[in-house]
Amino acid sequence: MPRKLHRNVVERWKGNPVLGIGDLPFAASDVHNAGAVRHEGQVILLVTVEELDGRCAIYRARSRNGRDFRIDAQPMFAPIGEGPFAPYERGGVRDARVTRFDGAYYITYLASSHYGYRLGLATTEDFTSVRRIALISEPDTKNGVLFPRKINGKYALLQRPQEGGSIWISYSEDLVYWGEQEVVMTPRGGYWDYHRIGASTVPIETDSGWLVIYYGIKVMPGGPLFRLGAAFLGMENPAEVRGRSNVPILAPLERYERVGDVSNLVFSCGALLSDDRTELEIYYGASDSCIALGTVRMKALERICNLGGS
Amino acid sequence: MSDIPQPDILQRFEQNPIITAADIPFTCNTVFNGSTVKIDGRYYILLRVEGQHGHSVFALGRSDDGYHFEMEPHPVMTPAAEGPMLRYEEAGIEDPRVTVLEGTIYVFYTAFGSYGACMAVATTEDFTSFERIGLVSGPNNKDGVLFPRKVQGRYVRLDRPVADDIGRIWISFSEDLIHWGRSQALISPREGHWDSYRVGASTVPIETEDGWLEIYHGIKMTSGGPIYRAGVALLDKENPANLIGRSAIPILAPRTEYERIGDINNVVYPSAAVLEPDGEVKVYYGAADTYICVATTTLDELIEIAGNREY
Repeated sequence: MPRKLHRNVVERWKGNPVLGIGDLPFAASDVHNAGAVRHEGQVILLVTVEELDGRCAIYRARSRNGRDFRIDAQPMFAPIGEGPFAPYERGGVRDARVTRFDGAYYITYLASSHYGYRLGLATTEDFTSVRRIALISEPDTKNGVLFPRKINGKYALLQRPQEGGSIWISYSEDLVYWGEQEVVMTPRGGYWDYHRIGASTVPIETDSGWLVIYYGIKVMPGGPLFRLGAAFLGMENPAEVRGRSNVPILAPLERYERVGDVSNLVFSCGALLSDDRTELEIYYGASDSCIALGTVRMKALERICNLGGS
Repeated sequence: MSDIPQPDILQRFEQNPIITAADIPFTCNTVFNGSTVKIDGRYYILLRVEGQHGHSVFALGRSDDGYHFEMEPHPVMTPAAEGPMLRYEEAGIEDPRVTVLEGTIYVFYTAFGSYGACMAVATTEDFTSFERIGLVSGPNNKDGVLFPRKVQGRYVRLDRPVADDIGRIWISFSEDLIHWGRSQALISPREGHWDSYRVGASTVPIETEDGWLEIYHGIKMTSGGPIYRAGVALLDKENPANLIGRSAIPILAPRTEYERIGDINNVVYPSAAVLEPDGEVKVYYGAADTYICVATTTLDELIEIAGNREY
């Protein structure tokens, strides 16, 4: 029975990790995390790979069953060498989140350079060629996640400015110019999400509101501890938090989550809802060193956020 | 003394400071960062006044000569007491920058709340009542100035986001003043220079034949703390994201008692520039975070010093 006390509502796949450095057909420094989406009967992961030189690029991995992945030998999306995006991507591109929107796919990513961290937006139809749309934040801003439909006639984006460590929302009519900033969720003193939080997954529309998996950091004497939580946001006003997990839904516990380039880290950029909408499959980076998979029932997420009755 | 060369380009008004806390008709701690505009021959200065509690509000002064201001008896703008801006202004409103654009008076200011310092914009018709438009940036972004005309059909602003403790001047564009994008880094600190630590936009840019003239502030960090100085940059007229000139040296540095000694020592912080019909430029600046001062030069001189093309 005591074992149950530290069990998380997210259940790890027995075959974890799904994808590690040994699965790459080339030499790299490490595998960080992955955005996830279904496309033409396959699960596609957009995997952040740290190259040997230390810069990150985004690689496509594909699977029929969502468990066995084959990753490309060439990046799908790497720092661009010239043009207006180039100065801001010199330090790498990473942390892709994929939003399916009216049949198109949008990718939000993190561009890093000596100018700081800022968010980029790109689009693809087939996950082979990617077209950049715009850089959509000033620095230092991370964790950009685009909602899968317009809200009150506008595109909506969650993002995490470094200052204050809170999740903000902003809106746009054209995906290029953004405004109407508002705070959505803040770190909670003393909690597992004490120091910084950020949206992890693309919001999923549910009867209880927009479900967002987010990560929270508590800085310990030994370094930061990255864990995952869940929140439900108001359907027409996502700045209204309808429910939020007081406890993490997943915390580092297994060896692959405890030991790696950044130890004690679980960090997600993508989750997929089952066809019957009862279960969520969360792809998450563990210790910035591999991709793992965990599943959780939607009812359990509602319950842990004090929503949806018993 | 008269043999010592005067190193500053700007000539200080001999009756500086022109506004101090003693001139404010209500209780306050200090005054700084006043934004002056000249409308129909009258000067209006909207300035930041820090109250005794530490939160700032805006006061207004009016003048016929740009040097002697008569202060409105009460603050003209205070932190929002209700509505959506309430939580973003809990710790005060700071650093107003007034731009007259197509006949409308816009005020860019810093909304300081529990989530950090954000940029916000409001409009006014009379400098005594203000209508808030809202936030135009996320947190840790300051020194926002709006250009006085649209460039290629878009509103343009300068601002100063902080990344990894480094403050650069960025430029952004908008079609409606609310949604902003196409942001680019424009002016960065220069290693070893007087502006080696941080830079930020200071004055609403002045349009000249040679480009947009921007007086900015640069900070050098020393073992004794920061030194704030003023410099000048020139931006391309039709593509202001293109920096075409930048002064190698400051145009004003703290030297006088009122610039050296105050709440923050060694600060000259330009906050407005008024171009007179004869080509004179009045530069308003905060001194030592305690006084409002003015210094003058000519537009030609500023353009010349910005045009030495050292980046």
